[in-house]
Amino acid sequence: MKKVDEKILTRDFGVENSHTLDVYRKQGGYEALSKALKKLKPEDILSEVKAAHLRGRGGAGFPAGMKWDFIPKDSEKPRYLCVNADEGEPGTFKDRYIMSHAPHLLIEGILLTCYCVGIKTAFIYIRGEYENVARRLESALEEAREAGLCGKAILGSDFECDMIVHRGAGAYICGEETALLESLEGKRGNPRLKPPFPAAVGLFQCPTVINNVETLSNIPSIVLQGGKWFSSRGIQEDGGTRIFGVSGFVAKPGIYELPVGTPLKDIIFTHAGGMLEGKTLKAVIPGGMSAPVLKADEIDVTMDCHCMLEADSMLGSSAVIVIDQDTSMLDVLRIMIKFYSHESCGQCTPCRIGTSWIYKIVQRMCRGKGRREEIDEISRLASNILGKTLCPMGDAAAMPILSIVAKFRGELEETIVERSQKAKIQ
Amino acid sequence: MINIDINGRILEVEPGTTILQAAQAAGISIPHLCYHEAFPPEGSCRMCLVQIEGYPKLELACSTQVKEGMKIMTESRVVNVARKSVLEFLLTEHPPDCPICDKAGECKLQDYFEEYGLFDSRYAEPKSRKQKKIEIGSNLLLDQERCILCTRCVRFLKHVTETGELGVLERGIQAEINIYPGNPVSNNYSGNLTEICPVGAITDRDFRFRTRAWFLEEKPSICPFCSRGCAITIAYHPGFARFDLPQRVYRIKARKNPNVNGNWICDIGRYGYPYMDNDRALEIRFPEFAGKTDWPQAVEIITENIMRLVHMKRTERIAVAASTFLSNEELYLIRKIFREDLGISNIYFVDPSEGSGDDLLLTSERTPNRRGAVELGFALDPPPAEGFKENIELLFVFGNGINEKVETALVQRIASIKMKFLFTAHKSSSADHFDGILPVSLVAEKSGSLTNSEGIVQSFVPALDPPGDSRPLWSILTELGRKMAIDFKTYRGYSDTTDILREISREIQFFRK
Repeated sequence: MKKVDEKILTRDFGVENSHTLDVYRKQGGYEALSKALKKLKPEDILSEVKAAHLRGRGGAGFPAGMKWDFIPKDSEKPRYLCVNADEGEPGTFKDRYIMSHAPHLLIEGILLTCYCVGIKTAFIYIRGEYENVARRLESALEEAREAGLCGKAILGSDFECDMIVHRGAGAYICGEETALLESLEGKRGNPRLKPPFPAAVGLFQCPTVINNVETLSNIPSIVLQGGKWFSSRGIQEDGGTRIFGVSGFVAKPGIYELPVGTPLKDIIFTHAGGMLEGKTLKAVIPGGMSAPVLKADEIDVTMDCHCMLEADSMLGSSAVIVIDQDTSMLDVLRIMIKFYSHESCGQCTPCRIGTSWIYKIVQRMCRGKGRREEIDEISRLASNILGKTLCPMGDAAAMPILSIVAKFRGELEETIVERSQKAKIQ
Repeated sequence: MINIDINGRILEVEPGTTILQAAQAAGISIPHLCYHEAFPPEGSCRMCLVQIEGYPKLELACSTQVKEGMKIMTESRVVNVARKSVLEFLLTEHPPDCPICDKAGECKLQDYFEEYGLFDSRYAEPKSRKQKKIEIGSNLLLDQERCILCTRCVRFLKHVTETGELGVLERGIQAEINIYPGNPVSNNYSGNLTEICPVGAITDRDFRFRTRAWFLEEKPSICPFCSRGCAITIAYHPGFARFDLPQRVYRIKARKNPNVNGNWICDIGRYGYPYMDNDRALEIRFPEFAGKTDWPQAVEIITENIMRLVHMKRTERIAVAASTFLSNEELYLIRKIFREDLGISNIYFVDPSEGSGDDLLLTSERTPNRRGAVELGFALDPPPAEGFKENIELLFVFGNGINEKVETALVQRIASIKMKFLFTAHKSSSADHFDGILPVSLVAEKSGSLTNSEGIVQSFVPALDPPGDSRPLWSILTELGRKMAIDFKTYRGYSDTTDILREISREIQFFRK
């Protein structure tokens, strides 16, 4: 039996002033860094991270160790770490808690990663709206610098590393790793054509590692307790715990750190306290808005990358959005596509025009001017976006739309008819 | 070399080639809009998606490099569905302007619709309205509704001119190309934007609403405005001779020549074309002799004037003012007739003064063949500032008429000379000072070769018919040589400019390469 209450990331969230260096150190913080600098070689850390089966927490779930290994060994260019803190996926609010309650956990994770990959400069790209969080991160960084944990000769060793907090300007697309790089370089946040991948040609044309906040915050415990230990917290090939951000019609919305592979049902009905009084479950979006929706009878799944793929959805950023019986799926669809159409960068054709076209149709449907047959048009357009765009945002928009249309067609048709009758009466 | 398979055809290609390049080389067309060979792949239009066996998704032909054994399908069902859907997306917001659009007939979007689309509109929503006529530069107008956001223009200004006047503003469906406030496109290469725009979004004031692309015929030529010698295409109305049209030449386009100008030309060369139609010298005129003259008579008169001095053994009384607008062949004939056959040393050059060049294409020499003249052994001395020698009584000016100023300056120094002949392509205010005006052809109307500043000898053929009585100078000079019969055998041997160039290369090492 796994210990469900074992926390890796949120352990100290309840401790007063957990964001300060003193408290963090009292709780055993920076021990991993000190251990690494004294006893471990970079290769040792890499093999621990690989053994930990730590998958990226940003959405794609790519194994972190493998990503670090892609950095070319023979390049003479400097290497960079970009921390993706542009938490913009609707429903996702886990990274802000890590950064505001345990900024030093992230900083330690960054330092360990930089030590492992041979990086001297890290950039924390934080979403513009997180102004307070960015400030807290800045002051934590200042504390770390003063304590000799960041900058030159860290903890008396010859390891040097510093980091820069950079606030985004509010575009969802800048959470896409290559758009993030463009934005960080001071350019318009448009995703880049891949290949080349950032590991080879990234920030300022240099080899670059890009990791999510939560991913990096796991590194200190992996270094301290070993990859095997970490791996055993989760399931096979998908180690550790994850922070599930539960929102919607549940009794106790919030963040829950639980082992990878926790059943979705447990998250909603045990940890988040079940549905709000008088509400029944209709659907769940299990991994941030881009994840295909699950119907109430499809939630018998475990929250890990593999199982979610089997269920034709994805774990994404493990943001669980709970939808109740009284919420119209047509409205869900409208809110969804409004977001993507508003956030499309406009660079490539299918996403730029497809999302706007679908939005216009759905908007019309909501106003009572739609026809039932036009649902086919929506799925045709979404399929025409799927797999044809420059970056993953096209798929992120098309997949949930296709799933709603496929799974809630009857309801959508009824709503369209209902609203057009209402519009006629008025 | 590696082997790939496109639509069942086995092709052998260089490693590092993209699918699009390999297909194009094999004559297989893959539609594309944002890709332009002069820039790195952009991958934003999504028109060039192709299927590769074993790949989960469709891949971009413009950016995917071929791999050994790759099996590519460019016309399979999935590819056609994808292509059609991208095309549909592009047309959704595109206005049906074709009947009034200058690009119609040479618009890639229009062509692809004919080839891959031909569907009815399914778009029931109102189209986004954007600005139809933004002055983005003194010659350029931008129609944001027609724009498909391929960003070729933005990339041209970023990578080629490095001036960056255009950018993408806003995002999503509101995304648009525009200039930054108060900073219009103002560089000497702006005309290329109209040409690389795959649709009619950037049009050129000069060409706007003047004619339809399909009325024009195109012929290759070389730009004579500086010593770079850029390859150009002259687009002209073939009905000019038959109908009373306002003009013959409608535009100049860049013609690709990797050795000289790459894909571009400058605005001086592009917009300077009206000289081909305006103020042309069309008649042979000898004011002293009443009435019109024809070419045989004109050559007769000139020959008589020369031969009179030859018989008197006073050829030192002849002076020649040439210019480096002339071709290698024409300069060679001037050298041969006047310097070698007649032994004249008073050969001067009346070239326009130097302008300022740039780092891209435009050179400071504003004539096309200075290098050629140097290699042919001319010192390029200007006429003496104090005036021609007092004993000069016969002057030949082989001008071109492009530069009136130079000619006017010359005229002030020739008043005392008894007999003066002007060979010119254009009407000239100084014409009254001459005893004979002989209309000659422009580079666009004759054959020959020019030597650019880098020493590249480029041959050209006529793109247009010479107007009126005008004839290529080389043919007049050949005839003059024959007529004077000093070296009859040689001049009889020239039937065209290639004969002359062959002789030049026999004689001068430089032209042999």
